[in-house]
Amino acid sequence: MALLQISEPGQTPEPHQRKRAVGIDLGTTNSLVATVRSGSAEAIAAEDGSVILPSAVHYAENAITVGATARHRAGEDPYNTLLSVKRLMGRGIADVKSFGDQLPYKFAQSGSGESADSGMPAIETVAGPVNPVQVSAEILKELARRGREALGGELDGAVITVPAYFDDAQRQATKDAAQLAGLKVLRLLNEPTAAAVAYGLDQGEEGTEAGDKIVAVYDLGGGTFDISILRLSRGVFEVLSTGGDTALGGDDFDRAIAGWMAEQAGLGTDLDVATQRALLDSACAAKESLAEREQVALSHGNWRGTIDRAAMAELLDPLIDKTLRACKRALRDAELSVDDVQEVVLVGGSTRTLRVRERVERFFGRAPHADIDPDQVVAIGAALQADVLVGNKSRDDLLLLDVIPLSLGIETMGGLTEKLIARNTTIPVSKAQEFTTFKDGQTAMAIHVVQGERELVKDCRSLARFELRGIPPMVAGAAHIRVTFQVDADGLLSVSAMEKSSGVSADITVKPSYGLQDKDISRMLQESYAHAEEDIAARALREAQVEAERVLESLLAALQENGAELLDESELNELERAMEGLRLAHNGGDAEEIRKRIEKLNDLSEPFAARRMDVSIKRAMQGHTLDEFDND
Amino acid sequence: MSLRQTYFEIFGLKPAFALDRAALADRYRELQREFHPDKYAAKSDREQLLAMQYAAQINEAHNTLRDPVLRAAYLLKLAGVEVSPEQTTADAEFLMQQMLLRERLEEVPSEADPAAALDELGEEVRGLYADEQRHFAEVFAAGDLEAGKDSLLKLQFLIKLQRQVEELEEDLLD
Repeated sequence: MALLQISEPGQTPEPHQRKRAVGIDLGTTNSLVATVRSGSAEAIAAEDGSVILPSAVHYAENAITVGATARHRAGEDPYNTLLSVKRLMGRGIADVKSFGDQLPYKFAQSGSGESADSGMPAIETVAGPVNPVQVSAEILKELARRGREALGGELDGAVITVPAYFDDAQRQATKDAAQLAGLKVLRLLNEPTAAAVAYGLDQGEEGTEAGDKIVAVYDLGGGTFDISILRLSRGVFEVLSTGGDTALGGDDFDRAIAGWMAEQAGLGTDLDVATQRALLDSACAAKESLAEREQVALSHGNWRGTIDRAAMAELLDPLIDKTLRACKRALRDAELSVDDVQEVVLVGGSTRTLRVRERVERFFGRAPHADIDPDQVVAIGAALQADVLVGNKSRDDLLLLDVIPLSLGIETMGGLTEKLIARNTTIPVSKAQEFTTFKDGQTAMAIHVVQGERELVKDCRSLARFELRGIPPMVAGAAHIRVTFQVDADGLLSVSAMEKSSGVSADITVKPSYGLQDKDISRMLQESYAHAEEDIAARALREAQVEAERVLESLLAALQENGAELLDESELNELERAMEGLRLAHNGGDAEEIRKRIEKLNDLSEPFAARRMDVSIKRAMQGHTLDEFDND
Repeated sequence: MSLRQTYFEIFGLKPAFALDRAALADRYRELQREFHPDKYAAKSDREQLLAMQYAAQINEAHNTLRDPVLRAAYLLKLAGVEVSPEQTTADAEFLMQQMLLRERLEEVPSEADPAAALDELGEEVRGLYADEQRHFAEVFAAGDLEAGKDSLLKLQFLIKLQRQVEELEEDLLD
């Protein structure tokens, strides 16, 4: 059989060689990267041993620093030290204004040149305007670098986590940042789902229809609180509801304790920055040591005092009460009561605080899962999923089916929304809708896509405006334009359109309301290479080569599996020639040529891929006959 | 090519209204295990795209078959009967009953015990909905498509009413 004699492509890795995959928790305050090594998932440390990378980026005229070093500049150089940019991802100027003075940056209406109409806020720095996607990309680049160092080579893929409530624009912005950072995104995964995966909650015994498992993920970080209620039903992870407070976290605990200290020490309320900082540091240290001790000594200047667990509980309880009220609301949104919750998972550094654990345990009436470091649990779950997705581990039992968090709709007459895809629909999903022209000879039409649950367009989030052009001129109402909205497994929307009677596919221009267009991304890529003095051609070549390897390897495995039965000799010969062509191009140095060859091979192998899908369908149906279901 | 299969064929079920829900759920998971884009994350872009289309089709088929109203409409569509949103049943007695039920729903908040009144109404609506489903199954199995169409129109009325009952239940909870 000729196909078994195909030689291994020049630099294609052995099929059984482990792929390099990482899970990334891109957080508001802190970020980290994890991977699976020798069968277990662990966070990857930087050279200095630290695992957590503060989500801080400092811009100087000719240098960008990321992490702890950057964060330390926040005091002296606040305008050029960007913190918490996650809050700005996929947001517009108006949203930014609503944050008020939480973010002390100078916002420009837009970035340079073409992103002027993207509606995305740009922050003025000494290095010029930067947008949140670019800032996030800097953080991702540092995490990717750690991944490469630890795994010894280019990464094959990454799973990046996002909050469950992130809408399409926020998810797209995250994916754009990954693209800018040169990462191949295997999947955007919901943070609470990742945490549940880290604890192996997906691996329970197969439930029955009545045996759904309800999981509450309580995530208290430095500055944000999130509660998510998930349902695990027969391997399907479904986010039932989310809630929280974007301005409540461990930092508020520190402030409460520091305020108490200032009062005890008789310092008054008008404190200088240095005093405030010193008080906050002692407060934070006291909070942490009370997890192990009954009481700790405190001092500031000449003042000496102690704080015990009871006194601290009194200070923290009003804040914890707020989180528990959000839990109640989330349960009510999910139409569940607290007794329905079977598992509780703790996420975020602030859940180390003893009082938080006590109160959460009392509220839910069960001990929460807290064995995995709460700062790392999301990244660890992402790493486990990345390991499966990249193909290192075959886990037929692991199937994470996500749902779309908010309904997708289009604007109709009178500013009303018509829902096309309801929230909590399992993704991927596609919906087709027919439109017609209302004027004779009309050749174009605009479609406004929004996301949200409300009836009025103005109460929903605008996602994008699509313009259809090239509709054949007809009398009004004669054209039938079928527009297909597709949401992929990451929750991202794409739209295609076709005029049915003529078969003409209409051109679609997408104008994201708060996002970047492809041309913005390529421009920013160019800019970032200019900064990093990295050779853009070398990068493009390497990316093309990696894609070529992926395509060749996957096709080779497919051919070995069932090439002989599904292809005739001429098809096989043609495919082999195209593969050889790609292999040669791969070893040459022309990225453009490689891309062309990949495209050609993809076209040629498409019928083969479709036939393989049919075989899979038949295999999945094996052992099932119509009779089996004839028992009604 | 399988994207052209009917939803019933995709799930290996015979095209009837009565349906083994457990079998549907089992087959759904088996199919997603095979075609979910996660299984193709390391494959070429073309294969990923194909997998996404299959998975979307499987999800759409699953959503249609597990929902009684969508399932009934789909069965009629396969039999060549399309029901447009403007159509309504001509059964005067049924329409009168609907009007009375709606009036009762509107009066619930002003009842002495709204929760009890709503419970009673909800129970009745759910009963009518279940009865109508049985009726659809019978007439469709007997090949009476006209009666099937009328039954679908009634099912649409009843599910809408049931949703309104549920919405009011939520409001009363707050």
